[in-house]
Amino acid sequence: MKDYMLIFLGADYSEMNLSPEQIQARMGKWFAWNTKMQEQGIVKDGHALHPEMRRVSGPGRTVTDQASAELKELVGGYYVVQAKDFDGAIEVAQDFPDYDLGGTVEIREIMVFDQA
Amino acid sequence: MIDHLFRHQYGKMVSILTRIFGLQHLEMIEDAVQDTFIRAMMSWRKQIPDNPEAWLTQAAKNRILDLLRKLNADQKREFKIASGSSSLAINELFLEHEIGDSQLRMIFTACNPVLNPKDQIAFSLKTISGFSSQEIAASLLLKEETVKKRLIRARKAIQKANLSFEIPMGQELSRRLVRVLEVIYLIFNEGFHSNKKNILIREDLCGEALRLCKLVRQNPNTATPDAHALFALLCFHSARLKSKVNEHQEIISLRSQDRSKWYGPLIILGHSAMNQAVETEAFSVYHYEAAIASEHLKAKTYEDTNWDQILIWYEQLQKISPSLFTQLNIAAIHIQRGAFSQAEQYLMRLDPESLEQKAYLYFATYADLLKYQGDPEGALKQLEIAIDLCSNEVEKQYLLKKKNEIS
Repeated sequence: MKDYMLIFLGADYSEMNLSPEQIQARMGKWFAWNTKMQEQGIVKDGHALHPEMRRVSGPGRTVTDQASAELKELVGGYYVVQAKDFDGAIEVAQDFPDYDLGGTVEIREIMVFDQA
Repeated sequence: MIDHLFRHQYGKMVSILTRIFGLQHLEMIEDAVQDTFIRAMMSWRKQIPDNPEAWLTQAAKNRILDLLRKLNADQKREFKIASGSSSLAINELFLEHEIGDSQLRMIFTACNPVLNPKDQIAFSLKTISGFSSQEIAASLLLKEETVKKRLIRARKAIQKANLSFEIPMGQELSRRLVRVLEVIYLIFNEGFHSNKKNILIREDLCGEALRLCKLVRQNPNTATPDAHALFALLCFHSARLKSKVNEHQEIISLRSQDRSKWYGPLIILGHSAMNQAVETEAFSVYHYEAAIASEHLKAKTYEDTNWDQILIWYEQLQKISPSLFTQLNIAAIHIQRGAFSQAEQYLMRLDPESLEQKAYLYFATYADLLKYQGDPEGALKQLEIAIDLCSNEVEKQYLLKKKNEIS
């Protein structure tokens, strides 16, 4: 088994004017997904991230605030899960609840370095 | 997960926050509550807390302190929450009866006469019941744009009139309560009487009306016989909600409904409300409508229905609040009693055009009369007119079925 990071992009709930009922329904889906992964014992870690962002870049260590145009590229949260291979991780990502809201899951294998 | 937790919390939180910050900050308040839910959703992804309601309450309290700080900084003025230290005062506002009180203030705000009557319902559903404009549009069969316009117009009217957030007192109270009960009844009717798609939301509307009526009954100043009678009526109607349509969303007539599916606990609740409602002599429209509904529930089979008693209630109803529809109902009751000439007299006195978009009901009733009088051809003709005039698909199907049964 390898570790994969599922990175959640886009689907910023605060911009969507969801009703309380819709928010609760969404949460139910997230919760169901998490429970399923817990039962399979494959979820290792995960967090939601605040939308506010600072970017530090360049030799001058320039600090920029996130621009709203970049919202779709914004990482909203992540999970670290165990899977056999990419296909396994893609299978896990099937349950991500926000595809219909324009959300995207990016899957990256976590690199393991040999302990020399 | 608790059903409708967020929806119900929404109304509570918006009401409490409005009591603290005033109606002029309503938009900020709604955003803040929305934000609290989104935070809850994010943090509950991994695990729902043991007591979600307490979690949300605490989040709301924190949010109030945030907003106080923000507003005080922005406007250089001191917001005061009653007396004493603010966190203590905030805790008091979250006590059960204070929450009820805040929500009641919101209901009276929503039903304030400075608001356009059409906007009152949309505003109530949004602010007290946490429906999105999209959900309100689906429930009231309106365009979302229309709903948004109504909400904006309601907020503007509130701002312009500089309404204070309170329950009226004295004579004003009884006058204003009439409209509050009306709006609750209208919300319920939206859920109960039309059967277009989105069945879930429609049931929610009935549930919301019941919840609002319960709030009115909980406050000693608003717990009037009329409020009890309305609650009884809503309970009686709700008890039959599940047996009104089948799995294909076809209407099942009262005659063919599975009476074992009627929901007993609601009927009992309705009866106890009815007992409170009749403690004084003055009866309202709700009293008589509840009496009629209760009479239907009493009958073990359709054939057991006590039409004579129902007729008496309808005649009383017609006396205190004459309406063309009651007149039409009286005709229909006479048909059931086999009093065809009386039914005919009532129908003769009615001009179907004055029933406007419900005119099809007149022709359907007329068809019934002719059918029972042994004139299937005449009945068919009337049914065809009814089908032609009926715009609700579900009811149209029902009439078509009736037509097939005759021919």
